Amino acid sequence: MTYTEQPNAPRRQALRLFGAAGVAAGLASFGLLPGAAAAATGLGMPKPGEKVEETIARLFGNRPLQAAGDKMKVELPLIAENGAVVPVRVESSLPMEANNYVKNVYIITDKNRRPLNARMALTPDSGKLSIATNIRMGGTSDVRVIAETNDGSLYQFKQEVKVTVGGCGG
Amino acid sequence: MSQVRIRVQDKAKAGDVVNVRALVTHPMENMQTRDGKVVEKNYNFIHKVEASYNGKTVFEAETTQAVSQNPFFSFPVKVNAPGKIRVIFHDTEGKTYTGEADIKF
Repeated sequence: MTYTEQPNAPRRQALRLFGAAGVAAGLASFGLLPGAAAAATGLGMPKPGEKVEETIARLFGNRPLQAAGDKMKVELPLIAENGAVVPVRVESSLPMEANNYVKNVYIITDKNRRPLNARMALTPDSGKLSIATNIRMGGTSDVRVIAETNDGSLYQFKQEVKVTVGGCGG
Repeated sequence: MSQVRIRVQDKAKAGDVVNVRALVTHPMENMQTRDGKVVEKNYNFIHKVEASYNGKTVFEAETTQAVSQNPFFSFPVKVNAPGKIRVIFHDTEGKTYTGEADIKF
């Protein structure tokens, strides 16, 4: 059996290769596929899964994370019935002045496939740190809110949220 | 179609911190898996939010798929003069959704 198939194998491989390359080239040159331009930049393309340690290393290098303590108040549910919509509200007494302000707020869900939920950037014109949004959680996990000030210090708040029904494939 | 809704308080005073609430109708496509593997395609979700007050950037967000459908953001702006707040949402298909609201004194 294998003996008879062998002579044909290189030809098949060549055909397959040619066929695939031809289709790809055709699509690219036409550029007719919706989202072809976006696909080229890869904005919406899935990125490989990541551990939370890797995310933190990627975002902050090895800068130390200080516990936020009473500097930051985060409203998160203890039990979220629906993982697709988990409200987060962050308020803080950290100063927001021209040269001493909170530059970024990161929301990270430890056990999501890509842990970073969102990064929000503020300016001294914001006046006060007070932001809110809704996030998705794939399952029960720790949620971290990390505030980064303009001089690079990091304040972390962490809380476990129990999720009854996961709402996030990603 | 998609639309942006923005809510601010009715009246403000100079020096007030106004909370702006912006919401956009958007599906925020979830990552799909088939046979335990991630489906490779260009997912359509909001990846960037920009807000400006009288032309000056006051807030910016980088978002991933792990933000809920019909994403909503609330953020602060310190106002010194009446003006217009403009929020722009960018999705991964290159579309933008813009909303505006006036802050009155």
